[in-house]
Amino acid sequence: MEFQVKKEANATVVMITGRMDAVTAPQYESSVNELITGGDTIIVVDFDGLDYISSAGLRGLLVTAKLLKAKGGQLRFANVKGTVREVFDISGFGSIFQMDDSVAESLAKLA
Amino acid sequence: MLSSRNIAYKLILIITVCSVTIFAVTIGYFYHSSRVTLERELEETARNLVLASVNRMETELSSIGKVGEGVVRSLETGNYPEKSLNTLLKGTLEGNTNIYGFGAAFEPDAPNTHTRPVNYFCRKNGQISFVPVNDLQFRTHDWYQIPKELGKKEWSEPYFDTDVEILMTSCSVPFYDGAGDNRRFRGIVVADVSLAWLKDIVASIKVLKTGYCFLISRNGTMLTHPDKEMVMNETVFSIAESRNNPELYEIGRKMVRGESGFTPYIGARGVKSWMYYAPVSSTGWTLAVVFPEAELYAEVRALTIRVACMGCAGILLLALAVALIARSITTPLHELAEATEEIASGNFDAELPPVRSQDEVGKLSQAFISMNKALKEYIRNLTETTAAKERIQSELKVATDIQLSLLPRIFPPFPDRPEFDIFASMDPAKEVGGDFYDFFFIDDTNLCFLIADVADKGVPAALYMMVAKTLLKSEGQRLGEPERILSCVNNILAADNDRCMFATVFCAILDTGSGVVRYANAGHNPPLIMESQGIRYLTLKSGFVMGPVTDTVYEAERLTMQPGDTLFLYTDGVTEAKNSEDLLYGESQLLYDLQQGPRENLADMIHHIRDRVALHANGAPQSDDVTMVAITYRGSGSG
Repeated sequence: MEFQVKKEANATVVMITGRMDAVTAPQYESSVNELITGGDTIIVVDFDGLDYISSAGLRGLLVTAKLLKAKGGQLRFANVKGTVREVFDISGFGSIFQMDDSVAESLAKLA
Repeated sequence: MLSSRNIAYKLILIITVCSVTIFAVTIGYFYHSSRVTLERELEETARNLVLASVNRMETELSSIGKVGEGVVRSLETGNYPEKSLNTLLKGTLEGNTNIYGFGAAFEPDAPNTHTRPVNYFCRKNGQISFVPVNDLQFRTHDWYQIPKELGKKEWSEPYFDTDVEILMTSCSVPFYDGAGDNRRFRGIVVADVSLAWLKDIVASIKVLKTGYCFLISRNGTMLTHPDKEMVMNETVFSIAESRNNPELYEIGRKMVRGESGFTPYIGARGVKSWMYYAPVSSTGWTLAVVFPEAELYAEVRALTIRVACMGCAGILLLALAVALIARSITTPLHELAEATEEIASGNFDAELPPVRSQDEVGKLSQAFISMNKALKEYIRNLTETTAAKERIQSELKVATDIQLSLLPRIFPPFPDRPEFDIFASMDPAKEVGGDFYDFFFIDDTNLCFLIADVADKGVPAALYMMVAKTLLKSEGQRLGEPERILSCVNNILAADNDRCMFATVFCAILDTGSGVVRYANAGHNPPLIMESQGIRYLTLKSGFVMGPVTDTVYEAERLTMQPGDTLFLYTDGVTEAKNSEDLLYGESQLLYDLQQGPRENLADMIHHIRDRVALHANGAPQSDDVTMVAITYRGSGSG
């Protein structure tokens, strides 16, 4: 999995590509934790390049969401589609998280 | 072949071969250049010797010639009556001991004051006596005829005087009277010379041990030779003929032409020799010196043999030194190899040879000692780690047994309940898994059955599974409605869940009397319903997964199973089983395989799907727990 961070005016965009599973989820977790402890509490996660997410990956998303909630931050997911979207739908994650069709939309909703 | 030999052998072989080659080339060059130098020096020596002897002969011969010329001058300038002529001739002979006979011969038509045509004196028994010559045929002899015709002093071919048994030659000088056009030939003054002195001069030339000289006349006749038989009997050409030696013949031709040279030559009895020859110009003779090659090179050969012996001794010494050095290297190496072999066979306490030096071999020994220490340490660590791992492994084995024992595994579980059949299986990907299933009666008619998948795998998932399963059963028996069971257990789990562990759960309750199924879903994969008209995935509301967030609301749904209908529950370990090309088994394949597989016996159905999944994986390792539950409603039994 690749992890890229891009600072926008009103949020930090995190781009994840590849596979998010038991092996790579801890990397996502620690990277986002670093952002949060560094003061970035408004985060948009771009799922555009993500091919696969396992239950361990979902747990990683939950851990960071919980941490962000404790800090009073905001979290939006953009470009959740394909098989990842199916997993989100089955597991009910789609109804728990704020989902947008694009990063621009997420940024607009955060503004 | 060489590679299998030991180092000492290789070193000795290579170094010896190299040394011998270098030495042989050197000594060959030395021998060759020595020979060339020697030949050059010898040629020089031979030339000097021959020229010196030739000079001595020339001096001797020219002094004799001068005697004749002196008498001629006297005869031409003065008028000598017979008596005074005899005095002149006799006196001259007396004064020149190297002349054997001396005389004057006259033309018949010359204005002669003499009564005799020839006046000749010679030495006999130490006395000088007059020799009368009456034979007028002398005028046709060479000694008279040739100088007369040529008009100059002439030396005759040497001849053997049978009277005195001495090798002789004659020097004839013509004399004339008048001058210009009136100049007339009057006669010849002749001096007969013994050539005994020639023999002495030639014999005095010594070359090496058996080298010798010989003198030939202008016709090639042997004048002097160590072999007396040849003198006057053989010519160079007759010798060449008898020895069948065309080279000698060629040399003879050059000699007769008055050339000089230094040339290899096969001597008598085939002895390889060298020859130097040079002409005695006044008489047209050739003096030659011959020396055998063997003698010429004897010293070079001896020296070369001595040097070769020294070289061989040196090479032997070198080989010995190499052998010693090689031994000093290979002995510790050999010891090291033996010790290493013992270590390789498992005896790490085998003693390595002590480090004796600080050279490469010493460093190697040091490295082996270090390696052995490191190996021992590694093996010790490995033993400990293995023991620890084995302990964990055996504990995990126990955990696997405990986890499996928690799941109902006896089928049929309710033999006295004909209203339904149920079968289930769980294959963990690791020793312990996060998947589980359960079924139990809430009351007489309501059977609760559920399938769940805890996020992640391994020990954390197994621990979470234990809690979830225990809670689901206890709360299930207490609450009796699926949505309430899920909500209640969710709240208990979410209360203290920093790690955000969660499980997806499909929980259902079958009313065995009516076939009505009430169910609620916490983010689990939708099950399949197998009805008489076909098989399909249930469309259901996807509730949020169970565990991470409190107060999650789950909705109850219901369906009615007709007798013979089957519900097939599974976890994503089935549909997400991968082959080596990362291709998923997938929902459509599961649907297809269920359609094609056995329907009546649930154990067969589940085993069939398990086999199909294994076939799809085609040896790729199982990445997730594979769990399936199948339940068939058979009817209340009354109808």
